[in-house]
Amino acid sequence: MSSKGQKMGLRSWLDDRLGVSAVFGFLRDKKIPQHRHSVWYYTGSAILLFFAIQMITGFMLVFYYNPTLEGANTSVARIMTEIPLGWIIRSVHSWSASFMIAFVFIHLLSIWITKAYRKPRELTWISGVFLLLISLAFGFTGYLLPWDDLSLSATKVGTDIPRSIPVVGVWVTRLLRGGDDVTGDTLTRFFGFHVSILPLFLLTILAVHIYLVQKQGMSVPVSDEKKGKKLKELPFWPNFVYREMVVWLILTGILFSVAIFFPPSLEKAADLMAPAPEGLRPEWYFLFLFQMLKIFPSKILFINGDTIAVLLILLGIIAFFFLPLIDSKPAEKKGKIITAAAYLFIVFAVAMSLWSLLS
Amino acid sequence: MKLKHSLFTRRQFLNGILGGWFGALAASVLYPALKFVFPPTREPDQVILPFSDCEDMKLNTVKNFPWGSKPGLLKKNDDGSYTAFVAVCTHLDCNVTYLSDQRKFFCACHDGWYDESGTHIGGPPPRPLRRLILSIEGEDLIIKREGVE
Ligand code: HEM
Ligand code: FES
Repeated sequence: MSSKGQKMGLRSWLDDRLGVSAVFGFLRDKKIPQHRHSVWYYTGSAILLFFAIQMITGFMLVFYYNPTLEGANTSVARIMTEIPLGWIIRSVHSWSASFMIAFVFIHLLSIWITKAYRKPRELTWISGVFLLLISLAFGFTGYLLPWDDLSLSATKVGTDIPRSIPVVGVWVTRLLRGGDDVTGDTLTRFFGFHVSILPLFLLTILAVHIYLVQKQGMSVPVSDEKKGKKLKELPFWPNFVYREMVVWLILTGILFSVAIFFPPSLEKAADLMAPAPEGLRPEWYFLFLFQMLKIFPSKILFINGDTIAVLLILLGIIAFFFLPLIDSKPAEKKGKIITAAAYLFIVFAVAMSLWSLLS
Repeated sequence: MKLKHSLFTRRQFLNGILGGWFGALAASVLYPALKFVFPPTREPDQVILPFSDCEDMKLNTVKNFPWGSKPGLLKKNDDGSYTAFVAVCTHLDCNVTYLSDQRKFFCACHDGWYDESGTHIGGPPPRPLRRLILSIEGEDLIIKREGVE
């Protein structure tokens, strides 16, 4: 038998058992519409790139990281100083986390503004908001792991915030901390969230998200849909995938450059009994929430100000979840107001973050 | 199928039995699972320090002591008396510090201030610092939680 025949044989052998030719056929026929806003179609695969990098560097860090009160800080110090190229791995993991979350924000905001969540894509949006929350949870739990004074205080504050939610709040705080206080148990628990529970959640919901995107195809902005004329299209394979690969190459280059020139620092190990350090600040993606809590008055008409702030934030998250349902008439005035709200949110978040940075 | 004088059909009966069994099983698994996930954390009822350690503290200074997994602060007042605080901010749980020169407790997390008696006077803290109850018995300084005999 010729070698070509064998290959064909293997392929059809696999296809008989897995039925993959349907998938390949689908991807070969998939088309990406081209219009003014098509650049946003590249943000999703950028997130995938950074998540893949997080998985690879994360699994490498797990080889040396030690999730205990005594060992955490020294094991990170060892990764930074002793393990060959350990500092680059940690630096890439730390930077790629920021890049990933930045792209999740950009991705969701672009969908909000172009209204790509319109029927029938509501569930795609909702799964996307879950992915945002999980990504933020990754960042929050990861931040504690180096176990220095800043990360300890940030975690104390962050895990205490749910406590102001009536009734269930205390239990959320206890669940996160593994007790009433932040202790070594909290560190071990956060490690468990960070390296096993969150990755499982993220991969599962990501699978649903990607399935929905394939099933429904790319959405077209309202303005182009109204015109009703047929848009130019780009074949997904190979044209679009090749373009995505160019984007990946550029982003990887930027990521490694900043990772090499600006590695994260490591302060001395946290002391549970020491006063909170000055200049406490969470990671940039929590800054606007942090600033909100800081400026909220401690009492508003006998009610604890934080309770109101936290309930407001929760309300915001719930509204964000159901945005496609709230935005029921995308082409009308209400739809325009909801688009304006996206810009308002961006201005608000950036202003609050800058305020926090400059004060 | 339903017998003439029966209240249920056979299917309702079986579903009820099975559902009840399943519910009981789920509860009996969930309860210990929750017990495991939420470990008991009790604050200490009391902490005993040797009084000799604190006797020669200067006026208007503080000394740290561990109050379970939280820091405690023992403060010597101007009249030579002592007050003990849980040195944890009532806003969002950061550890506070005492600034002798300003006669204030300070929380760096969101700029929270308390006066020397632990009353909140600035920033976000909603309540005064928690106080602990002090007594001296022989050589020992005994620090108790409020409400403990
Ligand atoms: C399977 C996936 C992942 C694994 C196994 C993993 C593992 C780890 C480990 C062991 C550390 C501690 C070492 C260190 O602090 O340098 C860490 C830190 C961290 N991780 Fe992950 N990680 C994963 C995914 C992610 C994702 C998706 C994000 C964010 C979007 C993230 C954000 C962080 C952050 C911000 C830190 C702290 C970095 C630092 O300051 O050192 N991780 N991760
Ligand atoms: S935790 Fe002390 S002021 Fe916020």
